Amino acid sequence: MDTVTLTIDGRPITVQKGKTVLQAALEAGISVPYYCYHPGISIDGSCRVCVVKIEKMPKLQTSCSTTCTDGMVVMTRDPEVVEARAGVFEFLLVNHPLDCPVCDKGGECPLQDFSYTFGPAESRMDFPRRVFDGEGVKADVDFGPTLMLNRNRCILCTRCVRFMKEIDADAQINIVDRGYGSEIATFQEQGVHTLISGNLMDVCPVGAITTRDYRFKSRPWDNPGVVDTICTLCSKGCNTSAWLKAKPEWARGSRLIRMTPRFNPDVNNYWMCDIGRFDYHWVEGETRLRRPMMRRGTALEPAAWHDVEPRLRDRIQEVVTADPTAVRFLVSAHASNEELFVVKQLVEGLLGADGIKAVSMTWTRSEKPQPAGTKFKVPATDAPNVNGARDLGYDVGQGNDGLPDLTALRTAVEGGRVKAVYVIDPGPQGSIGDVSWLIEARRNGTLPLLIVQGVVTTPLTDAADFVLPGAAYVEKDALYTNDQGRVQAASSAIAPPGEALEDWQILVNVARALGLTLPYTSSSDVRRALAAAMPGGPYADADKIGFAQPLPASSWLQASNPSERWKWDFFFQDLPPVKGHSVQTEGSAQALFIPLKPVG
Amino acid sequence: MAYQRVLTQYINEPGSYTLDSYLKHQRGYEGLRKALTLKPGEIIDQVKASGLRGRGGAGFPTGMKWQFVLKDTPKPKYICCNADESEPGTFKDHVLMERNPHLLIEGCAIGCYAIGAKVAYIYIRGEFYHVQQILEAEIEKAYKAGYLGKNIFGSGFDCDVYVHRGAGAYEAGEETALIESLEGKRAQPRIKPPFPAVAGLYQCPTAVNNVETLCNVPLIIMNGPEWFSKLGPEKNGGPKLYCISGHVKKPGVYEAAMDTTLRELIYDERFAGGMMDERPMKAVIPGGSSVPLLLPDQLDIPASFDGVQKAGSLLGSAGLIVFNDSVCAVWLAMNLLHFYRHESCGKCTPCREGTDWLLKLLMRIERGEGQPKDLDLLFGVSNNIVGKTLCAFGDAAATPVLSTMKLFRDEYEAHIRAGACTLPAPWRAKHAMAGAH
Repeated sequence: MDTVTLTIDGRPITVQKGKTVLQAALEAGISVPYYCYHPGISIDGSCRVCVVKIEKMPKLQTSCSTTCTDGMVVMTRDPEVVEARAGVFEFLLVNHPLDCPVCDKGGECPLQDFSYTFGPAESRMDFPRRVFDGEGVKADVDFGPTLMLNRNRCILCTRCVRFMKEIDADAQINIVDRGYGSEIATFQEQGVHTLISGNLMDVCPVGAITTRDYRFKSRPWDNPGVVDTICTLCSKGCNTSAWLKAKPEWARGSRLIRMTPRFNPDVNNYWMCDIGRFDYHWVEGETRLRRPMMRRGTALEPAAWHDVEPRLRDRIQEVVTADPTAVRFLVSAHASNEELFVVKQLVEGLLGADGIKAVSMTWTRSEKPQPAGTKFKVPATDAPNVNGARDLGYDVGQGNDGLPDLTALRTAVEGGRVKAVYVIDPGPQGSIGDVSWLIEARRNGTLPLLIVQGVVTTPLTDAADFVLPGAAYVEKDALYTNDQGRVQAASSAIAPPGEALEDWQILVNVARALGLTLPYTSSSDVRRALAAAMPGGPYADADKIGFAQPLPASSWLQASNPSERWKWDFFFQDLPPVKGHSVQTEGSAQALFIPLKPVG
Repeated sequence: MAYQRVLTQYINEPGSYTLDSYLKHQRGYEGLRKALTLKPGEIIDQVKASGLRGRGGAGFPTGMKWQFVLKDTPKPKYICCNADESEPGTFKDHVLMERNPHLLIEGCAIGCYAIGAKVAYIYIRGEFYHVQQILEAEIEKAYKAGYLGKNIFGSGFDCDVYVHRGAGAYEAGEETALIESLEGKRAQPRIKPPFPAVAGLYQCPTAVNNVETLCNVPLIIMNGPEWFSKLGPEKNGGPKLYCISGHVKKPGVYEAAMDTTLRELIYDERFAGGMMDERPMKAVIPGGSSVPLLLPDQLDIPASFDGVQKAGSLLGSAGLIVFNDSVCAVWLAMNLLHFYRHESCGKCTPCREGTDWLLKLLMRIERGEGQPKDLDLLFGVSNNIVGKTLCAFGDAAATPVLSTMKLFRDEYEAHIRAGACTLPAPWRAKHAMAGAH
């Protein structure tokens, strides 16, 4: 790797060739403010706050657009730089409303944070701010089905313009008018219509673009925890962070409040799609299954686990004893590797060595409407673990490239040859595909026994004899194998609701009831067995994969102190530095805020 | 010896723009014919030897600019002729294109041959609608006569010239913004480096030259670099067009060598002929609205790039704007800031926000509502713009304020003390700021 060595603020710094001065400074933990720069999109050089002094260059240079060269001497704390930077901050706040207390970005706003650190103590502007609100006009405008745009707050960094042009490949946003009249807008105010629109809230360095989903719902200081996890709503496996909002004092615990992407250059870069970002409400929705249920007569009634298990055992054993080939499993590819591993042991114990043939995997596919040149392609397969099922020996046909073939199972069920179906469906509603034939078979009595282990109430659970409430993807530590074959960890952010259990636990309990010995007391036990069973491959280290714990907000804020700051910058979220900490004049006795003085 | 005009000798004759007139009077296209017998490198050498400096404002040596255009590249190269003449007080390129278009067409062709380009784009200002029509008609004639197109003069050299009319933006005259606009984008400057000579139009090597610059090229090839460099002072050779406007008797475009002094240009009968109504002169802007003002006692300097710079200003685009004593310095700055606020492209924060702030301050002072602190504020805001922007627009926008404050600070103070404009002029509309330019 070619490297160059330069000096920033007297410190020798070696970086990869081709990096910019701003990147070098951030990597070295030197705080330099920036707005128009974003590591995921092209360089614009327009906001001018990242100016630094470079020896042998006549003017101050924008560090975001200056490539490092050997022997370059850069100063980010020179009085000339400090003064120029403060001047630009004063300009940025000339028209930006100081409505931080009611702004959704407040608390995690780079403009707020950097202004505290680098801006002047007070503005000399004494004219009224420019506002877009007027008679019949509001500054807050619709910005498509998922977003809102507050034009007063926009500082015209054009990150959103470049994101749409470069990443989405459909330049729906641009600036209309010029100069002082510049305004972010879409053609004929049609708004932004794209599958990756939520990223615009993340790239926006101020509270101008907000998602309708998160808007007015929470503030950063209300979110006591954040968990690094992955999204399991398609085969891509984007790395994400699940944000938790504290419940009111009288209701302990916390709830999911938003999902944001987490930087992974090999999978999702800085982005995630709107499906993963916004489709989490079902996890804590009204339709969640919270208690086991059992059919008594015609009614499906809640029951305790200890009542359900023996009854379930009796019904299954009844079928197996009569004809072991009459038991079938229908498993969603939303099941994790741990669950699939336990299912395999369960069927082998119950039905014999080739018991896995009784299992049919299922998932859905939908081609996503996206521009041809998009840099962030959302896969067609809507399930996270088709590759994991394939690796564990399940029949998945064409895998992520095709749909599952359930005709054999359907024919057998409709022909009355199958006497019991055990469905494992830990995904959102509909993710198991069309099962109307299964419901119909149970309704008309062709199928005498239907067991559904799932997370939400669906027509399938309504038709079932036994309903076993499992855990959704943010409620369990589990491994999924994405479409690249990468084994990734989804971490538990919240607990399963009510009496719901993690799915591996339900399966182990069922197996035990059936007289099988599965010696697992935790999901890490399962992973240890999985690693031992599949040595030499991507699963060999399954037991060593780490899972994230909810990170308390206090340590999260401490982790974003200036010397750690670069990490967060590159982990995409612009997080606040510790307020009042002077990075402006490190190592000197100068005041924190340097008031503006006329330059001679 | 009286100066013999070469760029504008025939412009007042009827039909001066036609190909016939050009061939008859100006040895039309002989420069191109001669150039095609030379090697491209020899042409660049001749242009370098002539000392031709860019006439657009910066005065950068044209030969050097052409030499910087990447030689070894598989990409096509381009000449972009900057005909977006938008600097207030400047109207020389307009005259050249309207009355002597073939000189420009020939210059474009020679420029293309010199740098190895096959296409020249003339980016013409949005408001020059009729000039575009003339240019396009004359380019058509040049094609028919074989001066453009395939295999010119049987040399195997192909050259196409296109005219592209902008949508009307001052900023489109900045070379990278011009390129952006030509590509169909918003006219906003790019980060430099890379310079256009390396990655310009469509990311290909590009030379961006002013109209007057390219018009001088055929003359250099025909008459030789020595003739050119001896016309005027050292390093400031060649014919130069001066646009004189303001309170003078005969405003207009005048051609002269650059040893002519500012005083001659303003007072001599050959040029502007003195101050209108014999009122005393207050100040002159020597190079278009973006340069500092000069006072009446600074006029005895050669109106050359170096001469004006030595006096503390810049020759720029050689647009002289002359003011008599009826002009209020605050009003002058306010008027210019109104222009700059309107024309700022809005890309860089300091320029976008700063020009508006400056205008508001100046309007307040001119209205008589200024406060003593406003003077420091004007100064501080201007200095926060200067040198903090991508292109030179920011510097240009702050210059009228900084320059008038330096020379006429007493007037600013008087405004604040008196609570009113101290030089109310009946001819000056009280609401001149209403509406767009």
